[in-house]
Amino acid sequence: MNRYQFEDLISEYIENELSFSKRKEFESYLEGNPDALEMVNAIRSNIKKAGALPKVKTSSDFNDRLLDRIRSESDERTDGSPIKGLIFGFSPIHASIMMGLVIAFVFINIQLFSPAFDSQDTNLLYTTNEKLTDPDLRSLSKTNNAQNANLANLTGDSTYADSVYQSKKDYSKKIQFVND
Amino acid sequence: MSSDKQHSPFVYTDEQLIARFQSGDEGAYIELVNRYKDRLTNFVYQFLGDVEQAEDIVQDTMLKLYEKKHYYREIAKFSTWIYTIARNLANTELRKRKRRKTTYLSRMSREEREYEIPAVQPNLDENLQNEFIMERVHQAIKKLPEHFKTVIILRDLEELSYDDISNIVGVPLGTIKSRINRARLQLQAELQDLK
Repeated sequence: MNRYQFEDLISEYIENELSFSKRKEFESYLEGNPDALEMVNAIRSNIKKAGALPKVKTSSDFNDRLLDRIRSESDERTDGSPIKGLIFGFSPIHASIMMGLVIAFVFINIQLFSPAFDSQDTNLLYTTNEKLTDPDLRSLSKTNNAQNANLANLTGDSTYADSVYQSKKDYSKKIQFVND
Repeated sequence: MSSDKQHSPFVYTDEQLIARFQSGDEGAYIELVNRYKDRLTNFVYQFLGDVEQAEDIVQDTMLKLYEKKHYYREIAKFSTWIYTIARNLANTELRKRKRRKTTYLSRMSREEREYEIPAVQPNLDENLQNEFIMERVHQAIKKLPEHFKTVIILRDLEELSYDDISNIVGVPLGTIKSRINRARLQLQAELQDLK
């Protein structure tokens, strides 16, 4: 046993928690090292002194003061006066979580419903354009459709593009296969 | 009367008392307060070194016990739970103090900051000598680093088991044993001149 091992086992030795073999080893180390024995005795004595330190006691009116505090705190609550540190009855953490959830809910709703409104508006425009009878307005509408189609190609909006090109001719019948 | 004896609070364990209090028995609460007020005050006093403040902390602890009684679940010993509350409140107070102390120390003169505890005086009479030794031990414990101080107070002053200390501090049992051993070694080095 070396010095470090000895120091690690002092408390376990004092509290009789060492196994028989370890205890024997520890005691043989103590026999060979009088300073180690002195150290163990000093620690044992310090434990006793610490245990004998004068105990502090509570004052005689401790219970009365405590019960007064309990009563006054419960009175405050029954008065309906706001409890200190609460926001609308929620603790600051809960209040901030609630606020975050409300903001998230509003944001998600805006995100979900705004594209729907846009598409409704577009459909409305198309039905209006299809019903146009005036030739000048029709040509204007065609120009608009072409512009919209270009826009759709640029933005990659396929539904938009499909609706614009739905009147295009069907070329499938004109496809000719080359014989080998 | 046997029934009286059966209902006497002294026959109940702490866990039974808190269960009774949770079901609305205020008498059980008073009994728990009586059982723990001195122990906790002594425990907190070792950290703060001020009896009045220690008592205030224990009052807060007992108020917490009253208000949060339903937070206790019988998975841990009641003593562990109440000591943990008191320790956390004492730590909060210590942190507040540290912030204040930084300011005070910077205002103090060099002479005021340096002080030394004299060695044991051989001519003092036995009572005085004893008192002096106790003060030295108290100061030596106070000087220990926080993690050593807590375990040494809980073990050597409050005489709690290693398991309870491990639960209160929230550190594995092996670490607690090692901390207590190292704390005792440090204390021994500090009190070397005491016989």
